[in-house]
Amino acid sequence: MSKFIKQTVLFLVASILMLAVIILVPNYIVNKKSRFVISNKSKIVLFGHSHPECAFNDTLINSLKNLSHSAEPYFYTYQKVKMVLLQNPQIETVLIEFTNNQIDAKMDEWTWGYKYMSSMFPKYTPFMDRADIGLLVKNNPKDFMNCLSVSTRTNLTRLLTSNYEFTNVIGGYLRINNSQTNSTADSSSTPPIKITTERLSFVNLLYLQKIISYCTVRGKRVFLVRSPQHRSYEYLKNEYEFLRIRQKMFSSVEFLDFNKFPIADDGFADFGHLNYKGASKFSNWFNIMLNSGLLNTDKKQFLINQGISAVIANDKTVSLALQSFAAHQLDFRLSYAKARTY
Amino acid sequence: MLFNSLSFALFLPVVFVLYWFVAGKSLKYQNVLLLCASYFFYACWDWRFLFLLIFSTLLDYVTGIKMSGAGSAKARKFWFWLSVIVNLGFLGVFKYFNFFAASMAVAMANIGLHVNPWTLKVILPVGISFYTFHGLSYVIDIYKNRIKAERNFIDYSLFVSFFPLLVAGPIERATHLLPQVKKVRTFDYYMAADGLRQILWGLFKKAVIADQCSEFANVIFANSSGYTGSTLVLGALFFTFQIYCDFSGYSDMALGIARLFGIDLLRNFAFPYFSRDIAEFWRRWHISLSSWFRDYLYIPLGGSKGGTWTKVRNTFIIFLVSGFWHGANWTFITWGLLNALYIMPLIIFNKNRVNLQIVAQGRALPSLREFFQILLTFSLTVFAWIFFRATSMSHAFSYIGRIFSKSLFTVPQFDASRVMVFETVILIIVFIIIEWSGRESQYAIASLARFKRKSYRYAFYFSLILMIYLFMGREQQFIYFQF
Repeated sequence: MSKFIKQTVLFLVASILMLAVIILVPNYIVNKKSRFVISNKSKIVLFGHSHPECAFNDTLINSLKNLSHSAEPYFYTYQKVKMVLLQNPQIETVLIEFTNNQIDAKMDEWTWGYKYMSSMFPKYTPFMDRADIGLLVKNNPKDFMNCLSVSTRTNLTRLLTSNYEFTNVIGGYLRINNSQTNSTADSSSTPPIKITTERLSFVNLLYLQKIISYCTVRGKRVFLVRSPQHRSYEYLKNEYEFLRIRQKMFSSVEFLDFNKFPIADDGFADFGHLNYKGASKFSNWFNIMLNSGLLNTDKKQFLINQGISAVIANDKTVSLALQSFAAHQLDFRLSYAKARTY
Repeated sequence: MLFNSLSFALFLPVVFVLYWFVAGKSLKYQNVLLLCASYFFYACWDWRFLFLLIFSTLLDYVTGIKMSGAGSAKARKFWFWLSVIVNLGFLGVFKYFNFFAASMAVAMANIGLHVNPWTLKVILPVGISFYTFHGLSYVIDIYKNRIKAERNFIDYSLFVSFFPLLVAGPIERATHLLPQVKKVRTFDYYMAADGLRQILWGLFKKAVIADQCSEFANVIFANSSGYTGSTLVLGALFFTFQIYCDFSGYSDMALGIARLFGIDLLRNFAFPYFSRDIAEFWRRWHISLSSWFRDYLYIPLGGSKGGTWTKVRNTFIIFLVSGFWHGANWTFITWGLLNALYIMPLIIFNKNRVNLQIVAQGRALPSLREFFQILLTFSLTVFAWIFFRATSMSHAFSYIGRIFSKSLFTVPQFDASRVMVFETVILIIVFIIIEWSGRESQYAIASLARFKRKSYRYAFYFSLILMIYLFMGREQQFIYFQF
């Protein structure tokens, strides 16, 4: 009996050690050799889920790099932010999408639900700390082992192929050409999506706070942004709750709200996402706004609203309006700077 | 508590240590401990159904004693039928009531009477089909004077509820398990080591092959109307390996766990996919159920004694009941009938006991004839599994209809990573090679014990553990828990 127990325990210990080596060594190597380097010209980076991923065409916006990724909750964004900021000291400003669906309990499912965890977790395991891992284990222990196994395989593949490049898999502008807003709006067969504002994703909000703290500690300017959404977007129904949370939890961070930026129906891929046409219109406008110093003024939302009004007022002569607005903005900045010197 | 879960990985060592170190050599304590552990194991699924299990156990225990002590044949018959009717009654209510109610409603609708069937909104108690059959075999054996009634309630309860076999078999017989329950068990190093080896192999089958295959089989079966014939064939193949590795993996783990406690359970699988005809397949697939039906249904109905017509009738009956045992759905019944049709030529021409030996015994490879026999039997089995896996008869027919179309000759394509599909196919090939090389043993890697060099053995074990970790699929419920 003692021989059996001794041999079984030894065998188990050896197996655990072997698995620990297989898990931890590749994890460590990938962590050390990973490359999250983006262009030196990119002084502003944008993080978020599919809304900004489809809205900000970074080929049209100077010095901005869109690193948003579909179905990415803040838990995984946090891992990405850590590595991107660490390896790109030129970054001065961090924009983080903060929109209606990101307060919803749905984000918990995005964080540890099998469908999402199995695709996100293997990518970011090497950059997670114990608390992060613990959160996933606690909330979905059943699927965690499988995801850890996929993660080890992913790391081993990186090791075998010497591929430590992450820049091409962590996000970027996503071009969508079609528009389904009309058909979706008219479709009577599509059941209405139930919106729950009763349950919030505290984990998602906690990790947004962590991202903000991480950026602030490293001297980066942080802004929360909200991409344009269709007026029929289902999650807009939680607007009151959304604004309350923003005020309560993130009042110290400036909020740039582009939600009401005028985009025609054919500029939307669906109610939450812009297609290429909508993204082009919005990105061009945003580029002008950035170039006219939007991020350096104190009344950012006021200027955004003015810019939006200008677009609404004269959509056909938008470029002219914006140019005049830019000039006005320059005057405003000069007078503002003058006022501050006194 | 699944065998492949973390909670079971904690439960098993605790019970093992208590069993050998605390209960020691006292048979009474050993059995009490195993019974408590078994009830705890069952209560982890749903504690409410524990009362049903205890009631069923108590019923068979009491009726067994009453039958033994009955003064007249009439009284004996009364107790026997009481047990049978109550046991089958529970099974009927929990498992078949809704099926009969819905089928009745459909039949009424066909004659123009529209009724809303009254259905029960209860979940199926896990393992009910298995422990009911345990109990039935016990009372039938007493009624037929094959065994004497067990007077010790603890021993009898352990026979019914022993946790490795409680929820998905093997379906034990009183003649096989009760004598082991009543005998003092002393620790046997080789038996325990063999048990661990069998658990490891079962875990590999379940976690790697079955769970990987299930992901693809589920996708393909769920969206079968959108896939080509070749993809649907692939889906049926994935399910074929899923169901075998899921159920035989569970059985291997159950047998291995029982051996850790010094108990040998009935073998449930003997490499069925290497069978050369359907009769051989059924001697090798879910052996404890097939032999149960043979002993308690086929033989009492007259078996093979009454000529060809009796054999044909009895064969149809046992396959029909076997299909129905699996679930209250026409798909299972059709699956049973299809297998009855497959076996019929062998029964009629008296060829059902031709292939009794292990295929290619003492040889590395089968002959060409054997190979084609295996291939044909396997193909028939794959075809039958489509009915087993389909959600309804219309689903099964549309699935088969799409297979036999022009799209059969296209490259399979479905919503899954090609790399993962390729990995799974490679793993299945590795698995088949290991199974083939170990087909003369009780389970595929049993022969490893004969390896003199420890290093080879351990290298294989560690490789297996590594493969389990690296290629485990998403944890899935064992298929046979639903039965």
